[in-house]
Order: sequence, then C-alpha cells, then structure tokens
Amino acid sequence: MLRKHENSDSWKAGILAITVHLVLLVGMLISFNWKAAHPVMNITEVELWDKLPSTKPVIVEEPKPVIKEEPKPDPKPVVEEKPKPEEPKVDIELEKKKQELAQKEKELEEKHKKDEATKKFAQQMRDEDLREKKADEKKQLDKIKQDALSDVKAQDDKQASAVNASLIGEYTEKIKAKIRGNVNKTLCGDGNPELKFEISVLPTGQLSGSPRIVKSSQISACDEAVERAIIASEPLPLPDDPSLKAQFKNLNLKFRPND
Amino acid sequence: MTVANDMSLFTLISGASLPVQLVMAILLVTSLFSWWYIFIKVATIKRAETESEEFENKFWSGGDLNKLYEAVTAGRRKPQGMASIFEAGFKEFIRHKQQPGMEAKMDISDVMEGSRRAMRAAYNRELDDLDAHLPFLASVGSVSPYIGLFGTVWGIMNAFRGLSSVAQATLSQVAPGIAEALVATAIGLFAAIPAVIAYNRFASSVDRLSVRYESFMEEFTNILQRKS
Repeated sequence: MLRKHENSDSWKAGILAITVHLVLLVGMLISFNWKAAHPVMNITEVELWDKLPSTKPVIVEEPKPVIKEEPKPDPKPVVEEKPKPEEPKVDIELEKKKQELAQKEKELEEKHKKDEATKKFAQQMRDEDLREKKADEKKQLDKIKQDALSDVKAQDDKQASAVNASLIGEYTEKIKAKIRGNVNKTLCGDGNPELKFEISVLPTGQLSGSPRIVKSSQISACDEAVERAIIASEPLPLPDDPSLKAQFKNLNLKFRPND
Repeated sequence: MTVANDMSLFTLISGASLPVQLVMAILLVTSLFSWWYIFIKVATIKRAETESEEFENKFWSGGDLNKLYEAVTAGRRKPQGMASIFEAGFKEFIRHKQQPGMEAKMDISDVMEGSRRAMRAAYNRELDDLDAHLPFLASVGSVSPYIGLFGTVWGIMNAFRGLSSVAQATLSQVAPGIAEALVATAIGLFAAIPAVIAYNRFASSVDRLSVRYESFMEEFTNILQRKS
C-alpha cells in the first residue's frame, strides 16, 4: 500500500484526512436546518348538502291551500243568490189566503234556517279541514326540524318520504280536479252533498274494477253522476315514479260536487 | 417507512435500507483513503520538488563530483529523486573506470552506455514512486459518483415501492426516502471531486518532475563523457 519513503507522512496525512471529513460533517450540520417545519393548518369542515331540506316541502305545501281556497269563495254567492228569486214567486200567487202565505213564509224561514245551518255546518267542516291542514303542515315542519337535527341519512329518508307524501297529495288533487270537471253538478241538487268513493288505479292510469261508494250523498242521481265522471276521466293522472304509482292502488276520494 | 418529523442527518442515514447503507459505508471509506493519499502525495511531491531543487543547486555550483557523490551516499537515508539518479549513474561510471586491465577493452561509449542504463533504471524507480496511488485517485474520481448514484437509485426504488402500498400517496411519504437516497450521491460526489482535482494536479506535477529528471540525465551524461 505505502512506499517506504511515505511512512513518515502517513500519520500526518491520516489525521488531516479525518479532520477534513469532520469539518465537512460539522459544516453540513450547521448550514442545513435539518428540522422539518410543519406549518399549522387551519382546517374548516364543510357539510355538503344535495338538497336544502327546508325549501322543498314548503314549496310543495303552498299550492294546496291556494287551490282549495279559490273554489270556496266562489260557490258562496251562488248558494246565496239562488233562494232570493224564489221569494217573489211566492208573493205573486194569491191574495186571499194569508194563512197560506204565512205558512209559506214560515216554510221559507225554515228553509233559510236550514240553509244557514247547512252553511254553518259546511263552514265548520271547512274550518276543521283548514285546521287539519295547518296541523299537518305544522307536523311536517316539526318533522323537518327534527330531521335537520338527526343524522344525515335519516334526514334523507324522511325527506324522501315527505316529498313522496306531498307528491301523492298533489296527484290525488289532480285526479279529483279532473273528475270534478266531468261531474254533472245539476244532478246533485242545491245542497252541498258529500260523497266518498274508493277507487283503485292501475299504473297505466286506468281503473281496475268499478269505483265503490263508501259514503253516499243520499241522492242516487248524484252518486251515479260522480261515478260516471270517474269512469269518464280515465286515464287518471299519475306520477312518473313507479314506486309511487303503487300508492294509488286503493285511493279514497272525497267529493263535494257543488263546492 | 415512518414520516420523520425530525430529518436529522443521522436519522437519514440510519433509516436507509441496507444496500444504501452499504454504499454509504464504501463511499465513506474510499473518501477517507483518497484524502489520506492526497495528503501523502502532496507531501511527497513537494519534498521531491524541493530536494531536486536543492540537488540541482549543489550540482551546478561547480564542486567536485567525487565529493558530491560521497556527500550523497554518506547519509543514512537512501538518496531520493535526482540524487538517486546521480548516485546510480556515477557509481556505474566509477566502477567501469576502476576495473584494472579492462581499460583497453572497454570503450568510452560502452562506459557511457552502462551508466546511462543505470540512471534509466533509477529514474524508472523514482517515477514509479511518484506515480504511486495516482491510479487509485483516478478510479475514485471516476467510479464513486456511480456508486453513489446506485445507492440513490436503490433508495428511490424502495421509496416508490413503499408508496405503491399506500392508498393515499402524499409527498411526505416519499420525501424521507428520497432524501436518504440522495445522501449516497452526496457522499459519492464528495469523494469524487477532490480525487479528480488531486489526480489532475499530481499528474501534471509528476510530468514536470519526470521532464526535469530526464533533462538532468542528459546533461549528466554529457558531463561524464567529457570527464572520461
């Protein structure tokens, strides 16, 4: 390895070589900042929502009262106007028989009273309906609030069911409107009879079997008229969702033809 | 491979895989040896230059060659460099001259040829001493970057192989492995750069010395020829 004449230098050279390496090592340790710096990250969590839960049900619920409120004020004047022209007819007939007149007047009064009673009853019914609807709305709102508090999955499910329920309601209203358009109202008399029909709708919109009367209006002509109207208004409007179509298998429809 | 928050030089080296550590060890040893040889060569070449300077001054001062020869051989130390060439040539010349009865036979050209051969042999020995360790420096300068590169490639291969088994790849999972691997290249370059510089410097110094020795040989032959 080493020549003879180099032996004198070997120790010095070896020490120098080691010092050179040590100097380089110390230089590296000093010049480099070997500690890795980790900057503090500000992490903000964001929840992503596909649908806003509050907006949809509100939008769906709003049209219901609008649709229902509109027809209500219309029939009132119609009902009130009809008895008025009858009065002159009665007055014109005879002079002598005041008793009969009185009797007839009494009858008229009775009729008025009856009408008023029926009107009051109808109004009570309407008020009850409205209250029920409001209660339903409140319940739905409460549900939505509870949903917002509960888990996201549960929210989605409940949301979906709420949406479905609102869709079913919407389409039952559509079915009713279509049938109502076909009812011959004159056959149902002057009063405000209420009928209940149970129908089962096929997914195609056709009726399976004939409509069944649950509650009759006591006027057979009126019942028949409504039944014919139901058959005439085939195909009935149904939602596109096939799972929702199954909900229309047994449908209870409440009719007030003179409403 | 854990993500080290504290990437000190020692954790980088200790965290490396075995082949990379082996490469680093080899490179460190070669670096130490090359620096050792560099310092030895610096010392020997410097000494050879100063000795040849001193000897030339003494030689051209115009003193008696016999006295100079006695001064050179008197020392306990074996003469080196130019002095050894002079010693070999002059010894051969005197030996031929002092042989009795052979003078008629021995031609002057034969005597000169003999001393010239002796000087050539001494010159070769000296040059061999001067050239010692230079091939080692040359190979360190050319090979150690490749050794370092091998260690780096191996380390980066490992780093990426480890990355493939992780679902979410981040830079902090590869970075330590690459840093460890690059330490091998750094050590290789650290060994190679001084070796290459030293090799080039020493080669040129040895060339200059050999030219000086050769010219001295020619001049000394002329002097001997005149003397005989």
